[in-house]
Amino acid sequence: MGLSFRQLLTMTGSDLRQRLRDKSVVIFALVVPLALMFVFDLTFGGMEQLELGDIEVAVAAPDDDELAAALVGTVRDLDVVDVEVVPAAADEVRPLVRSGRAALGVVVPEGFGAAVTSGQEAVVDVVEGESAGLEGQVVVAVLQAVLDRVNAGAQAAAAGGIAGLPPEQLEAVARSVAEAAPTLGTTEGETSREQLSFSGSLVAGQAGLFLLFTVGFGVLGLLEEREQGTLARLRSMPMRPGLVVAAKALTAYVLGVVATAVLLTAGSRFFGVDFGSPAAVGVLVLAVVAAGVSLVFVVARVARTAEQAQVAQSILAMVLGMSAGAFFPITAGGVLGTILDLNPIAAFMHGLGITSGGGGLGDLGQPLAVMLGFALVAALASRLIPDRGAAS
Amino acid sequence: MTRDTAPHPATDGPGDVLVATDLVRRFGDLVAVDGVSFRIAPGETYGLLGPNGAGKTTTISMVAGLLAADAGTVTILGRPVGPHRIDVKRHVGLVPQDLAIYPELSARENLLFFGRLQGMGGKELRHRVDEVLEIVGLADRAKDATKEYSGGMKRRLNIGIGLLHSPTLLILDEPTVGVDPQSRNAILESVEALSGEGMAVLYTTHYMEEAERLCDRIAIIDSGRVQAEGTRDELVRLTGELDRIRLTGTGDVAAAAEAVRALDAVDHADADRHSLLLVVRDAPTAVAAIVTAATRAGMSLADVEITRPNLESVFLHLTGKALRD
Repeated sequence: MGLSFRQLLTMTGSDLRQRLRDKSVVIFALVVPLALMFVFDLTFGGMEQLELGDIEVAVAAPDDDELAAALVGTVRDLDVVDVEVVPAAADEVRPLVRSGRAALGVVVPEGFGAAVTSGQEAVVDVVEGESAGLEGQVVVAVLQAVLDRVNAGAQAAAAGGIAGLPPEQLEAVARSVAEAAPTLGTTEGETSREQLSFSGSLVAGQAGLFLLFTVGFGVLGLLEEREQGTLARLRSMPMRPGLVVAAKALTAYVLGVVATAVLLTAGSRFFGVDFGSPAAVGVLVLAVVAAGVSLVFVVARVARTAEQAQVAQSILAMVLGMSAGAFFPITAGGVLGTILDLNPIAAFMHGLGITSGGGGLGDLGQPLAVMLGFALVAALASRLIPDRGAAS
Repeated sequence: MTRDTAPHPATDGPGDVLVATDLVRRFGDLVAVDGVSFRIAPGETYGLLGPNGAGKTTTISMVAGLLAADAGTVTILGRPVGPHRIDVKRHVGLVPQDLAIYPELSARENLLFFGRLQGMGGKELRHRVDEVLEIVGLADRAKDATKEYSGGMKRRLNIGIGLLHSPTLLILDEPTVGVDPQSRNAILESVEALSGEGMAVLYTTHYMEEAERLCDRIAIIDSGRVQAEGTRDELVRLTGELDRIRLTGTGDVAAAAEAVRALDAVDHADADRHSLLLVVRDAPTAVAAIVTAATRAGMSLADVEITRPNLESVFLHLTGKALRD
């Protein structure tokens, strides 16, 4: 092992030891993001487990009315809500709802079908109980949609009457319109295979956001060393000047990889998230940490003091994290969408979405290209930008 | 020795450890160092004495290879110095003005860390670390985190790191700033001991007493230029001032004055009822003859006080301002 390599490892080892003793890296890199994950999960986690339950609907409908029967059948056969139809007389519906034995009441009036076929507006009475909830809203919405269609049939029949069609044809027209296949259907939604679940977004987003803070502990050590005088001493040592910067980069990289891996692992365990292939996730972690380290090197060049750098780094972390959807989903199109797509944390989350959907290394081309491209550009920028701290 | 003119380029003597020639360094429009030249022989302690902002630290940064000179050259053991000259840096121990130590690490860990960067290792390093801890008086606190140390202890460790690899040239930049008198004395004793062992020392300070006590030769630096250079006595002679001796006592003071005026070393003598004020050359040498002459003339001495012009006087003489301005 050459002397330069030994010197590099000596500086990196010493940096890591000091960071661990300092405790702040443990707090910012692990404790705070994990705590935030728990807080967000407690606050918003219930939204992900939203499932519609069943509902009892008291229904009064004329026995010999085919359209009324079709209306009741539509409500009973809903896919998204289990509806238990409680047959009742028209005057029993309201007491049933008031007593809580039914959450919703529907009264289809006598002559409903005849009214529709004669071109009159179809009307039903709905009684909504306190326990109707979201399920009641769904049933009412479906009823409304069906009635709209029935009314369209009634209008068609009325138009036919005006045109002088015989009664048997008018009824056929009204039925055909009312019973036609719906133009707007509902199907049970299925998330994209590249989209993380709520918990997955939470874990990945917090890991990505706090990555910038974590790598900052390594890179911004350069500014701290300058301020405390140790940088001058390091530069007086018999070693290549670039080794000091390389050691900071290696320290930041190790901290970033370890912290992100721990956060993803812990988050997976605590929130039941499966990010998929460990190898593919590992490659994503390596890439996003490279991007984070390069970005913080730019900050280190621009800032005059460690304090300035920490402020700038915090702003960058929040902007990149939030725009990536670390706290809530962000969608944008056009130029803004393109800019958001270049965000390495967004690319990291996108990559994790792919792996959690079963994708492997071969499917990660786009997010990896974004992260590594970002790392390359930021690394070049950090070499080209004048070092304001050294000049001050 | 020069005065009010640019010093002549230092000559690279066969045994010189350091030769700096016509160093220039600018920061924008500011010329921080303007044609500084000096050389240091083995075992010599060379002082750069000047107020804050005089250019001492910039000069040292160029000598230590931290900063490239805009003009001029520095050689250590005959080899040119620069930020990328790793071979030369092995011979230099730098003690920066700032406390260049890691607060989270103990004294031993700090020393081990910098020792490894110097290429040391194994038993040699551990043994040397023990030695240095003894030298700087921190052996009993070696395992404590340095953030728990007093200012003086940190300063001593700062020096210890600089001499850990037994450098040929030790550079100390204001090593006693902000240090209590006890630690200050310990630091000065350490430097004296190192010089006695043959180490060349470049010492910057704005404390006149330290320069007088430690340095074999001194460059008085101000506004980036060396105003004068030489031994302490050589520099003092620049002022044209002589030493003063005050004899206080009873008896025949007038006769005593007559007697001492006859001595070659005495330039001038004024007497009053109980004291005799003399202007003399080389007071330490002449004082014995003066006391003898005054006593024989009938003066009974109660007190003898010697006052010599110091480097403060020299600085005032050369620059027209006090050293601590």
